[in-house]
Amino acid sequence: MSTPICIAPIPFAALVEYWFGELAPNEEERMEEHLLACAKCSERLGDLAELGAGIGSAFRSGAVWAVISPAFVQQLKQEGLRLREYRVAPGGSVNCTISATDDAVVSRLQASLEGATRVDLVLLDEQGQGRLADIPFEPAAGEVLFCPSAASLRKLPAHTAMFRLLAVDEAGERPIGDYTFIHTPS
Amino acid sequence: MHTRGPDQPLDDAALARAIAAAAPRVDQEAEAELYRRLAPRVRAYGLRHLRDAHAAADLMQQVLMMTLERLRDGRLREPEKLASFVLGMCRMVVLETRRGTARREGLLRTYGEVPEAMDPPEQRGLDEAKLSSCLERLPERERSVLILGFYADKPADAVARELGLSAVNARVIRHRGLLKLRECMSTNDGHS
Repeated sequence: MSTPICIAPIPFAALVEYWFGELAPNEEERMEEHLLACAKCSERLGDLAELGAGIGSAFRSGAVWAVISPAFVQQLKQEGLRLREYRVAPGGSVNCTISATDDAVVSRLQASLEGATRVDLVLLDEQGQGRLADIPFEPAAGEVLFCPSAASLRKLPAHTAMFRLLAVDEAGERPIGDYTFIHTPS
Repeated sequence: MHTRGPDQPLDDAALARAIAAAAPRVDQEAEAELYRRLAPRVRAYGLRHLRDAHAAADLMQQVLMMTLERLRDGRLREPEKLASFVLGMCRMVVLETRRGTARREGLLRTYGEVPEAMDPPEQRGLDEAKLSSCLERLPERERSVLILGFYADKPADAVARELGLSAVNARVIRHRGLLKLRECMSTNDGHS
């Protein structure tokens, strides 16, 4: 026996909003009735759940780098993750590492971000230069936080990396601060 | 909502009717087919509300046992409303689970074990290395919004507040990122 075909599939954006509990209660109720009657749409919801779990798992395992928020760091601590944090002022430097017992490293670049509309993060190290354009930031936070891939950090030899935050607008770009990380494997 | 495919399969309501009509005999074929259809739907509901794969699997088993038992007892008067009927039971079990009063063993005593022919459907595995590679390719904002959303389980307005975005913008970024991820996962060049 095969399964009947859905002739009114739920738009993907609506499925995502449903997943995050962003729909009005009556919309949510209608959607749940549809999902429990529809193999295709519930399969798509299952796929979204699987993808979401995979995203969480990739971050938890230290496989990916991400710019994050202070509240997110707080949540990681509350979950019991062992974080090694490095807070660096503009023009400052820090000796850093990652140990076998650390779940993640959080770099906190102190910065005056008021008035900035776009911020880029530039990495300069012995391997060359890389630029992360238009990173997310909260101007009032006074810092940019990022969580490098723990898996990649563990493979790195001793080296020095410099990060530069740049404010970018129509007039050009101006440096916000340089931050030096002197990495030693543990 | 549904139409018959070319091979004209029985719809869910027809299966529900067949199960009720067979009582006190058990229509194993109809029950197995209805279980096969409903299991992934109920599991997806469980994932959405319980955010835990094991809890969703438990919910799926409890709800389907209760559904089949009630269909055999003729307690669904309007088989066309099977989805509403199942939704009602899903909500009840989720509430019980949240209250901590759900007792799977008790339900098993009441409704019996699930027949071996109705083992839960297998889950497809995600290629984790490929997903990490695809995530690394996303622009920073998209990756951050997706990680804060899915790892921290935050809706768009909360993510927006933390990252200095508007809620509408956070939704757009999330949507764009998910589309790119799905596209990347479906291609063969996702590996770094």
